[in-house]
Amino acid sequence: MSRKVARTILLLAPGLILIGFLFLFPLFGVLKLSLFNPGFTTASFEKLVASPVALLVMERTFILALTVTVLSVVTGYPIAYYLATSSPRWRTILVYLILLPFWTSILIRTYTWMVVLGREGLVNSVLQWTGLIDGPTQLLFTGLAVHLAMVQILMPIVIITCYSTMIEIDEGLIRAARTLGATPGQAFAKVFLPLSLPGVATGAAMCFILSLGFYITPALLGGRRNVMLSNLIDFEVHQTLNWSFASVLALVLLAATLVALGLFRLVAPRRRDQG
Amino acid sequence: MRMSPARLALTVYFVIGVIFLIFPLIMLVPLSFGESQFLQFPPQKLSWKWYAEFFNDDSWLRATLLSLRVGIGATIISLVVGTLAAVALVRGQFVGRGLLMSLMVAPLILPTVILALALYILFLRWRWVDNALALTAAHAVIALPYVILVVSTALKGFDITIERAARILGAGPVRAFVSVTLPYLMPSLFAGGLLAFFASFDELIVTMFVSGGLETLPVRIWNDLKLRLDPTVAAVACMLIVVSVAGMGLAEYFRQRNLRRYHNS
Repeated sequence: MSRKVARTILLLAPGLILIGFLFLFPLFGVLKLSLFNPGFTTASFEKLVASPVALLVMERTFILALTVTVLSVVTGYPIAYYLATSSPRWRTILVYLILLPFWTSILIRTYTWMVVLGREGLVNSVLQWTGLIDGPTQLLFTGLAVHLAMVQILMPIVIITCYSTMIEIDEGLIRAARTLGATPGQAFAKVFLPLSLPGVATGAAMCFILSLGFYITPALLGGRRNVMLSNLIDFEVHQTLNWSFASVLALVLLAATLVALGLFRLVAPRRRDQG
Repeated sequence: MRMSPARLALTVYFVIGVIFLIFPLIMLVPLSFGESQFLQFPPQKLSWKWYAEFFNDDSWLRATLLSLRVGIGATIISLVVGTLAAVALVRGQFVGRGLLMSLMVAPLILPTVILALALYILFLRWRWVDNALALTAAHAVIALPYVILVVSTALKGFDITIERAARILGAGPVRAFVSVTLPYLMPSLFAGGLLAFFASFDELIVTMFVSGGLETLPVRIWNDLKLRLDPTVAAVACMLIVVSVAGMGLAEYFRQRNLRRYHNS
């Protein structure tokens, strides 16, 4: 028995060292920096609450994450539904159409939007060609650009999670509902939709949590008015060199992530056990 | 079979959705093969100019080489560390197993900028900034969750009685694992390794914070995007899209192979 214990410890040791030294310990440093100077102090938090900029950015980040999540779920769900209800032979090919953009890095997908929305970009060219506008209009460095790109980047995650729940739904249940007199619409609303909700919840939670921490897309596509929490942390570190303030902001972001994760666990307790 | 109007509408919607997802990526192709700085329709003249620019520019090549080195290093570290940990996490019976699992996959969910800030503060104190080895270790933390998730899923599907049989036949625990379980895990190790590599290869935020003057490929692209919009980036991006789609597609294929075996047994 003790040999088994020793073996388990030995197997875990490298992982514990890696995660301990380069994940937990540094996070602890952030906590320390925001709460101690050198004794315990809430000065940084007081500064946070008194800072209109920080409060505005926090509110903006939360609203953006929420908007992007709702948009991704609403637009992604029918796509997942289409995939799940198409013939198995087509399905495998069609799923790759969703995975293809998903496999490309966020930096590159953000860059593609710079090309599409730029002054000389496609959208401006088309709009001018059709005569809808006279000169190039400002699309880059706007909230619209950030929203479009983030939905495009995160929607595949929502689609894939919804889809994998949907294909597990027993087709017989839908047929039973139809046999019992339900219209296709009713069968969908009363049987299929509720059964697919766990996938929607997982996809939405992942989308929301990832949105909260988005850095690259707002930095490249958004203007000054689209600075998000991650960008503000970067700014405090590299421009104002105010590390304790950056640490407090990081702590807020961490807390928001954990709260979102906790809420999700609470709402969806029926999770596959991980262990 | 004729389509119902509802199904037809849904098909149209699906096509529009796929175009929205893929179209921006496809836009890069004409730009990267064009002559001019800007996107032109139709492209006036085809040229390899921007691709040549990449291969003739020392800074692009150095950045690519560094990304490869860091990526391979991070893959090896996370693959070894992650596989050992996955074995303990799946087979061990101890208190806090679930917590430990969550901790080791946490870098996947944690907003990257938090880890970037935390590592930056630490590396400054340790004088690890501007150090390729330290960067590799940091990337290993980011790559670790992928290995743990893929390998532990495969291990759960493995019938442990086969390994026990090897033990009864006289093999030691290590030998039994290496000659029986490891071959079974191979597809998942490939999949996990590929995912780990691309997690490192695409990583930007942590690298920007801790790398000092070192430029990996994503950092090089980032610096270019901040200063100017040069179609060389389009050429680089096109090549990267091909590489990552091939790599991730392969990873998906290997992952599915282990999963399918699990479902058949």
